[in-house]
Amino acid sequence: MNFKFQVSSFKLMALLVMVVSGIAFHTKPLIADISPKKILSMADEARGNVEGIEWEIKIESIENGRKQFRTLKIKARDFNSLAEFLLPPKVKGRKLLMIDRNMWFIKPGLRKPVPISPRQKLMGGASNGDIASTNYAGDYEATSVSEDTVNEELCYLLDLIASNKKVTYDRIRYWISKERLVGVKSEFFTVSGKMLKSATFEYGNSILIQGKPKPFVSKMVITDAIVKSNVTTMNYSKVKLKKIPDSTFNLNLLVR
Amino acid sequence: MRIRVLFIACLLFLPTFSIATELGSVTERVEETESSGLRDELSEGFEYSMRFLTFGTCQKVADSSQNPNNDFFQIPRYSTELEIRPDLRLTFRRLDLSVKPRMNLEWNAWEDGVREGDTDWDDDWFINEWLARLQMTENLFVSYGRENLQWGPSYLFSPSNPFFRDNGRSNPKREVPGMDFARLVWLPGMSWTISFIANLDEGRQEFRFYEFDKIYALKLDYTGQEAYTTMILSHQESDRNRLGAFGGWTATDALLIYGEGTISRGTNALYPKNADNPFGASMVAVDDEDSSLKGTILAGGSYTLEVGPTLTVEYAYNSPGYSDDQAKAYYQLRQAAADAYTLSAPMGDLSRLTLSRTADPKLRFLRQNYVMFQYQHNNIQDVLNLTFRWTQNLDDSSGQFIYIVEYFVGDHAQLFSIGSINSGSGDTEFGTILDYQWMIGLEYTF
Repeated sequence: MNFKFQVSSFKLMALLVMVVSGIAFHTKPLIADISPKKILSMADEARGNVEGIEWEIKIESIENGRKQFRTLKIKARDFNSLAEFLLPPKVKGRKLLMIDRNMWFIKPGLRKPVPISPRQKLMGGASNGDIASTNYAGDYEATSVSEDTVNEELCYLLDLIASNKKVTYDRIRYWISKERLVGVKSEFFTVSGKMLKSATFEYGNSILIQGKPKPFVSKMVITDAIVKSNVTTMNYSKVKLKKIPDSTFNLNLLVR
Repeated sequence: MRIRVLFIACLLFLPTFSIATELGSVTERVEETESSGLRDELSEGFEYSMRFLTFGTCQKVADSSQNPNNDFFQIPRYSTELEIRPDLRLTFRRLDLSVKPRMNLEWNAWEDGVREGDTDWDDDWFINEWLARLQMTENLFVSYGRENLQWGPSYLFSPSNPFFRDNGRSNPKREVPGMDFARLVWLPGMSWTISFIANLDEGRQEFRFYEFDKIYALKLDYTGQEAYTTMILSHQESDRNRLGAFGGWTATDALLIYGEGTISRGTNALYPKNADNPFGASMVAVDDEDSSLKGTILAGGSYTLEVGPTLTVEYAYNSPGYSDDQAKAYYQLRQAAADAYTLSAPMGDLSRLTLSRTADPKLRFLRQNYVMFQYQHNNIQDVLNLTFRWTQNLDDSSGQFIYIVEYFVGDHAQLFSIGSINSGSGDTEFGTILDYQWMIGLEYTF
């Protein structure tokens, strides 16, 4: 009897282990097995941090009812990027060079490159730093990781605190899709805790990285935290991977 | 005349090329030939912009010994200008060509001095800049052309630049005239650049009081993750070697800290020195053979507020600048020369010679200590740029206020106003030339 019970107990235990392990193997873990830094670096990749890429951004802003637009061509490699203003004609020929955290602004007719800070406004709600490749994995530490949904999509919600004083935002709440590993929403805060703006992201573009198609940002919509009607939309198009040589980012060769 | 023909050819070339470019895409569908491939390559590498500027300027001449009764500088009271500025550029494989022809039509009216009541029309056709650059290897570039080579982070002036005194910051609507340069640029890596630069001709720059001397420079640039630095070793023919440097640090996302400077043994600057002449002094390069180090150093920083404006402060120490005693002797000499300006030769000639030396004593700034404050707020409502700059001469208490206002109207036009107001008597640095200058204009870009 005892033996039978022991056998039954053993079977029950085995069954339980199989069921539990089966559940475990067929559903995603609540919190990722991969580290927050890895999640961030994969999300960064979909926002420009790759080895040689070029794209165009059309920025449309509505600020206090006034509509403006700019079209820029971006050439980026790692955390270096060159933004050339294409349209409208009044800003054509302007350039914004970003070598890691160093930034220069070049106006046609004014040959001297002007060093500028990432915080300076580019247009509407977009700062200079917003069009550069993101390096959240290097610039921020995740203080907490939880789960949330954005438009019914299951996301990691990372609370990011700046790991140095050199970034544009002191704190970011960043929603990263669990399935796609791309940032879908963010909220940007000052050191005093005041929310500056929020942004949503779409990924209609695709790039090949090591032969595999990866999503690439196609739209970023920035909404002012105080005046909700102040909205800046950045549409990304003509994305192509290409070799970007060192000379692209060289001030001695750039100013012509 | 040749410049006019070239300028007109460039203007005609623009629409022709644009039409050809558009037609090219249609033709391509009809026949795929090698020539269409070449045409596509050329059209893809071609860029142009066309700007029209028109502006009026009103200025009041200062009452100073440097410009007695406005007879020396003969500065017009009013002027209007129309300038056409096409910029053309072609990148074709390893070759990069660019040209910036200019047409300037100018009207001036005088209310002071020997030209009082005069008006004058003038037209000027010229090429302010052009460049031919060949990429020898992926990281080696050689070029020759007429350029306006500017560098350094400072607003007040750029002491590290051995070629240009004017950094173009005080009036962004006036182009700095280009000079002729041969350049070899080598990029040993992403962070480093080594350039050899030879300034072989004065080009469009005017050296009113001195002859142009060729300058050769070796420039070493380093750009790190959050800082950059550059050293420039230069040699001017029939002069001395100079070491210039600048650097900057992105301390935070809002704070930039930077510095710039130059040093040399001795200086070719002119100082007032007792002399056996009717004025009792003359302007002499007394430290020309001096082996002690003379230099200019500038330190600055800028901070961008969360609400948008950027505040900048700069301090400059100019060791070759005049001490109080030298400044006193300088102004005494200038006054003596001004008093003799209307006399006949030889006193009149000596007066003009002396005033040409006091007008440009080969010093970027006359005195030793300067401070500059700037408020800049760009992209206000995406249409308005504001810059207000105050420069204070700490030694003679004169000052200069500059404002730059730009307002965009539509996608092509920009209204602008640029002005300066100088404070100080005629015997101070900023009170020497103008009491004020006020410019208003329109820029239209196609």
